[in-house]
Amino acid sequence: MKTITIDPITRLEGHGKISIFLDNKGDVDNAYLQIPELRGFERFAQGRRAEDMPQITSRICGVCPVAHHFAATKALDAAFNVEPTSAAKKLRELMYMGYFIYDHILHFYYLGGPDFVVGPDAPAAKRNVIGVIEKAGIEIGKEVIKHRAYGQKITAILGGKATHPVCGLPGGVSKGLNKDEVKDIEKMIDSCVDFAKFSLKLFDDIVLQNKKYVDLILSDPYQLSTYNMGLVDKNDKANFYDGMVRVTDQKGKELLKFKPQDYTKHVEERVEEWTYIKFPYLKKIGWNGFSDGKDSGIYRVGPLGRLNAAEGMATPLAQKEYNRFYETLGGKSVNSTLAFHWARLIELLYATERAKELITDKEITSQKIRNPVGIPGEGIGIVEAARGTLIHHYKLDKDGLIDKANLIVATTNNSGAINMSVRDAAKGVIKAGKVDDGLLNMVEMAFRAYDPCFACATHTLPGGMPLEVNIYDNNKNKIKTIKQNLQENL
Amino acid sequence: MKTIILGVGNPILRDDGVGIHVAEELKKQIKKPDVKVDTAFTGGMNLLDQMIDSDRAILIDAVKMKNKALGEVGLYDIRDFSAFHTCNPHDVSLPEAIDLAKRLGERRIPKDIKLIGINIGELSCEFGEELSSEIAKAVPKAVDFVKKEVEEDE
Repeated sequence: MKTITIDPITRLEGHGKISIFLDNKGDVDNAYLQIPELRGFERFAQGRRAEDMPQITSRICGVCPVAHHFAATKALDAAFNVEPTSAAKKLRELMYMGYFIYDHILHFYYLGGPDFVVGPDAPAAKRNVIGVIEKAGIEIGKEVIKHRAYGQKITAILGGKATHPVCGLPGGVSKGLNKDEVKDIEKMIDSCVDFAKFSLKLFDDIVLQNKKYVDLILSDPYQLSTYNMGLVDKNDKANFYDGMVRVTDQKGKELLKFKPQDYTKHVEERVEEWTYIKFPYLKKIGWNGFSDGKDSGIYRVGPLGRLNAAEGMATPLAQKEYNRFYETLGGKSVNSTLAFHWARLIELLYATERAKELITDKEITSQKIRNPVGIPGEGIGIVEAARGTLIHHYKLDKDGLIDKANLIVATTNNSGAINMSVRDAAKGVIKAGKVDDGLLNMVEMAFRAYDPCFACATHTLPGGMPLEVNIYDNNKNKIKTIKQNLQENL
Repeated sequence: MKTIILGVGNPILRDDGVGIHVAEELKKQIKKPDVKVDTAFTGGMNLLDQMIDSDRAILIDAVKMKNKALGEVGLYDIRDFSAFHTCNPHDVSLPEAIDLAKRLGERRIPKDIKLIGINIGELSCEFGEELSSEIAKAVPKAVDFVKKEVEEDE
């Protein structure tokens, strides 16, 4: 791989680094977020049995194995020219809702929530889930743990093992559900629906009733008017497991709608010399640097991207919340990065309602769970990972071995936007060369909202991401370094 | 004493998966009814889930120690390390998961949790299932280390 070093930024491995460049007035000219990126997947995949990809790719990330598992499985459906049975699709989607339930709960209560529930000004040591529990009460802490575990259990019952599912096969799944399992899952889902409602009420009480927080959500450094992307069903309602990819503009108007197999016609990946991370953008609009607005092809994915890219939610309670979201935040599109957190809770409610629909579907106990595969070829699978659109693309040879493989993960889809959000947050707290003490937190809040998945990073609680911030004057001399959590361990 | 031995790491991230390699070897060598050997490609709360209900847990994981030789095997307290890695900043570290669970009244956490670390120097950001030669040499050392640890406390 070609490496060009632009002093003083070099590509990095190991931990996150932010380089902030000031202009001659001491204001922020530009900022670059560099995070490690796993490399060499194509070479790694080449020559492997295609059927192994759902298992192998579920190991790419310890947090979203289910998303990789099904993106890979759906790519294999396409590559082997087979449509899964109707029951298999429902089983997959049900399992997928379990994944959304635990992942969204984890994010809201552990990572993003503390900023609001405990407060953005609270000391870093308090801005964590323990701080949330101290504020909200120990009983709520127990509910958080319980429902996160329910989400895990639902995926484990359907997937074999919660942490590395083994159920997805081209054309279907390997295991159906029996009546006892259905009963157990339904009980858990009912409880999750209530917990999702409760979480939205908590957000309402603590955040939306507090003018200071609403002002923060709507404040300048956290606005970014990019395009938005997400999967939608045939009624243009948000869907996590399947559908067409829809892109809307800054006003919520449809710009593009395409089938997963056409993604290469619409998405291009920009390479910058200072990072291994690629920056996808819309071909139709083009690359216009790290800028937002209608002339820049950068788009956002994830909870906010999905809500903006859809015309609503397919379940009644989530739809009500969807309407309230846009009424409260000034109509479509909502461009506030911090609104990701609210959007995430609306999606949590949708996931629980959708899970209830699926578990009460008569077909869910059907044992017609697999169709025979066809001749191997090329296939693309797209799902919505909790943190955004995830694309797997494989080319198979005639023996069903992987010839070519490409992945675009959710955080990569968001990489252009994350970089801009970091820059804008830095602009908000650095004025005339004076670096505010709240810099790290403001900047972290900006990228935490995206729930990014950083490869190779080592992590602790919120405020705990290993990070180094270097600030340079207009002659590119380093004037300040701030570090956190850079310890000698993995 | 009910013991769980867990090899922790990412099996497709080269040396990061060394704990998995050690656990696979231990599965062949340890045959005791009260000792379970397993692998864990996860961290934080999911890792804690796998330890619940055991009296003792022994974790085997890759660590990064600048001042130690590559492949050096050592015994550590989990509190020496703030993070057990997953790829996402929203997971919690194991000590934090334990603190949280205790605060919420969980009583099934192993009383004795040890970490056996193998120093891998730098973490690879490139996919691969193979260990580097230095780290592969550390696998039998770590296997012996764990076996001694299991026997000593009995």
